[in-house]
This record gives sequence, structure tokens and C-alpha cells, in this order.
Amino acid sequence: MNLSRSDRRERLDRIAAEFALGTSSPRVRRRLSAIATRDRVVADALTQWERRLAVLADAVPPVTPPPRVWARISARLGLEHRPAVREVPLRWWSRVGVWRALTAIGFVAALVLGVAQLGQQPAPAAAPIVVVLAGSDAKPALIASASRTDRFLTVKAVGGTAPAAGRVFELWALPQGGAPRSLGVIPAGAIVHMPLATPAEESLTNIPALAVSVEPPGGSPTGAPTGPVLYSGSIERMY
Amino acid sequence: MSAEGARTASGERNERLAALLARVGMADERAFEDVYRLTGAHLYAVVLRIVRDKSIAEEILQEAYVNVWHHAGSYDAARAQPMTWLTSIVRNRALDLKRRREIDTIAWDSGDDETPPIEYPSDGPTPVEMLMTAADSQSVRDCVETLEGGSKQAIALAFFHGLSHGELAAHLREPLGTVKSWVRRGLEKLRRCLDAAGAAE
Repeated sequence: MNLSRSDRRERLDRIAAEFALGTSSPRVRRRLSAIATRDRVVADALTQWERRLAVLADAVPPVTPPPRVWARISARLGLEHRPAVREVPLRWWSRVGVWRALTAIGFVAALVLGVAQLGQQPAPAAAPIVVVLAGSDAKPALIASASRTDRFLTVKAVGGTAPAAGRVFELWALPQGGAPRSLGVIPAGAIVHMPLATPAEESLTNIPALAVSVEPPGGSPTGAPTGPVLYSGSIERMY
Repeated sequence: MSAEGARTASGERNERLAALLARVGMADERAFEDVYRLTGAHLYAVVLRIVRDKSIAEEILQEAYVNVWHHAGSYDAARAQPMTWLTSIVRNRALDLKRRREIDTIAWDSGDDETPPIEYPSDGPTPVEMLMTAADSQSVRDCVETLEGGSKQAIALAFFHGLSHGELAAHLREPLGTVKSWVRRGLEKLRRCLDAAGAAE
């Protein structure tokens, strides 16, 4: 296939239009949704068409869903048992859920990385420290890594993970039993470096996990996470 | 209602929803309940028309809102209006499910032209009527007006009832190729017109 750039654009636009309208075949739907999670151009083409056509949906006369729908949603999310507003970061890092999720995610990450490591024995000095940071859906959102002697963390955004406009991501070290310690605001970009005061092995001693919170520009004004904690992951040492 | 006033009303709703979604991102349950109260009936209606089964539509709505609760923190107001975001979530779920069910229920031996017509509930507006009254903006209505009859009908049936190309051909009793080109031409025309109208606003 030898399509010019503008031909390709036109073709992508047509495929995106039919996806948003809903006439694409299941195969095309599956492939396009998968590609859109990692390709910004494709994702933008879809978003644009969804935006254009969404105005049409306004014409559908509303139908009130039966009360059981809301009852089931709130039962599934356990809403009645939560406080009305959780804005205050009430020692969120000590909540059982965070740690349970971390353990599960850490196990999967260890498994994946462990398999990748089979058959090759890296030299101890180069052995990496790896953290797969994931949200409540357990999908990796950010990957942080460093060699034991690096004085920086390399952070990669997976699948276009980025904060909302006007917000930043801040990275936190979660010491065992202590309050989160800021590692700084994550700079914008697909792969970025964040400086560490001492070599990674030292900086991350007694730190079982990292987490990412949403903060105003410049980072948390209080020194503790103020926005929601979107991602977290346990620190895996490949040595 | 003037186009001007209507645009402001839908703009206000979107602004309100964007603020609520930001609070849902911080696990604010009351904001989440407000989002459901403001959007549930609209989204339920959209899903119901596509899957045409109340219990399936309820299921999809539940799944979608559970997702909204979990992902509101990653909602990006700069990329999509709240209603666009929410509508896309439920429409995509409804369409994926509808297509999956179609594959499961295809009768491989049913040969050719005897595809039964698709029945629709007679209450409420028809797809084309909805397309004609679409949105609260005069410019969108003007764009829809520019579509030819075939394109108008095909796009209305596809958008509101989730018909695939094949179903459109069967329902409209036209060759697949004709229906496909109606859809394609109609979408191209809509894009040019809507983008020009959007730029003019």
C-alpha cells in the first residue's frame, strides 16, 4: 500500500466517521479502539467525529430509567458506605484498598518482568528498579525505572497517559507506615527524567511503593497529596 | 427557544457537568449522583433505541456509570465536552454489544433476499424526524437539511438505531454498495457543513 499522507488522512477520517456513526464492522471497531489507545492521531480523529455527531443525540426524547439502575450502580460501588465527600486526603495511603491493589498489580508486574528476564542474567550494577503504576482498572498508566546507581528516575507514560488541562501529575514515595514523600512533579512528555537526591537504591530504601496524584500547576501546595491518587504501584527490584 | 438561548443552555449544562465530573474524579459521591440525575434519562434513551431491550439497556447503563466513577479523574475537558464523552461511552458499549449479539445469532443457512424488515416501536419520533430536529442549534438543523434523502435516512437509522451497513441495506431494500455510498457521502457533507458552522460560531 502506498498512500500519500493526505490520502491516509482522508481514509482515517472516513473510518473514524463510520466508527462514530456505528456502521463499522465488529472487526474494524475492535482494531480501531485498540489503535486509538496508543495512537494520538487516530484517537483525535475518533474524538472529533464523536463530537460532531454527539449533537444529534440531543434529539432523542429522554426515557427515565427504573430506580433499580441507580440502586445497582451505588450498590456495586459501595457508595452508601462511603463518606459523602472524600476530598480530604485522609491518610489515603493507609487504606486497605490501595495496598490490596498494589499487591495484585505488583504481582502481575513481577510476573511479566520476571518472564522477560528469563534466560538473561543482567550485571548487578545495571539491575533495574521498576515500578508499574496503574489505576483502579489495573491497566499500566506510567512506568518508572532506574538502575541502582542512577540519580534519576525514568518515567514513561503508557498509552498517552496525561493529566487534564491545567493540572499536573506529582509522584510520591510511599514509605512503609509513613506519610507520602514527594519526588516532584512529573514533567510533560512521553519519556521524562526526574532527578533523585541520591542513587536510586538509596533514595528508595524502605519505600515499598510509588503513587501519582493530580495536583495544581507547580505541585501540591501542602506537601501532601491534595488531589485524587490516580495511579500506584509497588517497587520491584530486579536483583 | 432561540438558537442563541439554546446554545447557552446546552453550554451551561456542559459547564455544570464538567465541574461535577471533576468532583467525581475526587470521589465525591454527591457529584456523581448529580451527574446521573442530569444525564441518566438521556443516555438510557440513547442505549434503549440501539439495543431495543430494557434489561440489556439497564445493564449497559450500569456498566457505563461504574466506568464513569472510576475514570472521571482521567476525563479531559479540553478534549471532549462532558455530554460527548458520556454519550460516546454508552453508544460504543451499546454498539459493541449489539454487534456481538448479531454474530451470535446469524443464521448461516438463511440465504439471500428474504431478510425480514426491522420493526420499530411506533411511539415517539422516527429516526429521520429526530435527525431533523437534531440538537438545539439551528446550524446543525441546517446541515442535516442539506443531506439527500437516502443519506439522511441511512445516517438517521445508523445513528439512532445502531444499524450496520448490512442491516441498512436490508431495511432500506437497496444494494449494499448504494447504502455504503449514501453513508459516506452524507458523512462527508455533514463534516464540511458542521465544521464550517462551528467555525462561524
